[in-house]
Amino acid sequence: MVSTLELPTPRMEEWRWADMQALRSAAEAEPRVTGLDPADLFLDLDGPRLCFIDGAFEPAHSRPGAVQVTRQIVSSTHPLASLAEGEGWSLHIEPEHAVTAIQIVHLGSGGESHVPARIVLAEDAVASLVETYAGVGWANRLTSISLARGARLMRSVRLLQDEGFVSVRDEAEVGEAASLVSIFLGAGGMGSRIDGALTLTGKGAFAEMGGALLTRGSQRQECAVAVRHEETDGSSRQIWRAVAADKSVASLAARVEVARGAQKTDGEQSLRGLLLDRTATVNLKPELEIFADDVKCAHGATVGELDKNALFYLESRGIDKARATAMLTRSFVADALSRIGEDAVREAFEADADKWLGGTL
Amino acid sequence: MCPGQEFGTQVMLKIDNLRAEVDGKEILRGLSLAVNAGEIHAIMGPNGAGKSTLGYVLGGRPGYAPTGGSVRFDGVDLLELEPHERAAAGLFLGFQYPVEIPGVSNVQFLREALNAQRRGRGEAALSGGEFLKLARAQADALGMDQEMLKRPVNVGFSGGEKKRNEMVQMGIIGPKLAILDETDSGLDIDALKAVGDGINRIMRAPDKAVILITHYQRLLDYVQPDFVHVLEAGRITRTGGPELALQLEREGYGVAA
Ligand SMILES: Nc1ncnc2c1ncn2[C@@H]1O[C@H](COP(=O)(O)OP(=O)(O)O)[C@@H](O)[C@H]1O
Ligand SMILES: [Mg+2]
Repeated sequence: MVSTLELPTPRMEEWRWADMQALRSAAEAEPRVTGLDPADLFLDLDGPRLCFIDGAFEPAHSRPGAVQVTRQIVSSTHPLASLAEGEGWSLHIEPEHAVTAIQIVHLGSGGESHVPARIVLAEDAVASLVETYAGVGWANRLTSISLARGARLMRSVRLLQDEGFVSVRDEAEVGEAASLVSIFLGAGGMGSRIDGALTLTGKGAFAEMGGALLTRGSQRQECAVAVRHEETDGSSRQIWRAVAADKSVASLAARVEVARGAQKTDGEQSLRGLLLDRTATVNLKPELEIFADDVKCAHGATVGELDKNALFYLESRGIDKARATAMLTRSFVADALSRIGEDAVREAFEADADKWLGGTL
Repeated sequence: MCPGQEFGTQVMLKIDNLRAEVDGKEILRGLSLAVNAGEIHAIMGPNGAGKSTLGYVLGGRPGYAPTGGSVRFDGVDLLELEPHERAAAGLFLGFQYPVEIPGVSNVQFLREALNAQRRGRGEAALSGGEFLKLARAQADALGMDQEMLKRPVNVGFSGGEKKRNEMVQMGIIGPKLAILDETDSGLDIDALKAVGDGINRIMRAPDKAVILITHYQRLLDYVQPDFVHVLEAGRITRTGGPELALQLEREGYGVAA
């Protein structure tokens, strides 16, 4: 399958920082034993659990509850997401119902795996979800999200594969006064592409997609997110932090589109990169495309190194350089992870970031 | 105690003919100073004389490169130590401009700092509860709101609050030698008194010493120095008692001693 795969090329503007070579190598990698136990990849939360191993549902490690395992036909035209057909999962929640602490674990042992997911929340329904990617190989996912009036979804996704590649694509429609928050953490050794197209289709909708990408070695991770405001009074947030060490590359491309007539839109976009070594690279591409006149869009994009004054301040109080660097780096990504609403989930993600820092510095 | 030395006259810090460069420019030009345990020394001098540079060189700040001379602290070669090792050895640097660190709380920072120093000295770390008790007591003594302990380090603090926070840190850490760089600048009279009281309470002891870098004589009304030195153009040019500070206040630095 891989040999015939038509991958995007760097000549395509939206893919110029994508590491398709890493994706191809991951897809072609021979399966191997990872030694990971799926049970260790779930957080200690009381909610539905689903485990996919190499893209196949694994009942022995699952208790799906309200989540259904289904085969799906995909209509996305996205070059990677369109491949994510076949067995996947779906969540449909009735009006005013809530399902929280859902966990999906994706464990790969090599080769490629494609899983589609669909989340449909009816009016005023509520859901929260944690996804974890671990192991090796190429994990390719499409998540289609549809939120009806007043629905709320909180989603936290951590990419912790040791190597290989994770590509995730979100396609979401956020209805009137509905709220979508998706926070990502890339803290493994894999390459990644986090791709999103969020559309605010209802008045007063809220959509947020953000997170932190931590890269080291020769790793490359990127996000490419577009948020489109089609109705009035919507707000959106894209708060991304990238930390790059060694010769790695982290890239953040984020776009806000405000359609004609989407007045009183409030868009916030903050892209910040931190270079831990001069040999590392952070690419930032903030974009605003605004066709309405009564709009507030705060945006900022900066790349820098750690504040030397702050480093010396910590060291002068007795903290050694590696630990001081870790503390400041952690505080750099804190804004992005603080968006995760549930304490236990946020703490788990912070612990993953700490583990990465411990292994890097 | 070393043989032949009486209590209170042990040399804690001995700086001999110290030279140091910043950005390739020589700022300290043969500075010598000896500080005994139990003493408080004030260093005064015009802007740009090298007072802060002296503090940074002693603290080990990157970019402040010693190029000659020596510094012994409690018998060890201070200039050989990393900044965090100097702290563990008992050196505390009070910053002229304390740094804001968003995302790191004061308590987290200080607990980590104190325990790192304790480990460096082979002592057991303090538990969360023990540490909080200590931190609260020091905040109270300095008149700092308990809430500020939980806030990110110095973020949104006024100039006076930052300086009080430096003193709270000094109280928690309990150093042997404190080098306080213009801790009095930007303080109103209440804060000045609180800081002065803090210095006396924390550091006025037979086994401790203070180097007080200041521009004004007014802090010295609260903290009586044993010696006053004038630092000009990178070296100590005059030394006297508290009366020298009063004289400098009246006559400025231009007047011959
Ligand atoms: N980081 C620095 N880079 C360049 N020059 C510096 C730096 N720090 C201090 N200097 C220079 O060193 C000299 C002494 O400065 P400083 O030690 O701050 O003096 P003081 O504290 O006595 O006012 C000044 O000429 C100042 O311009
Ligand atoms: Mg100064």
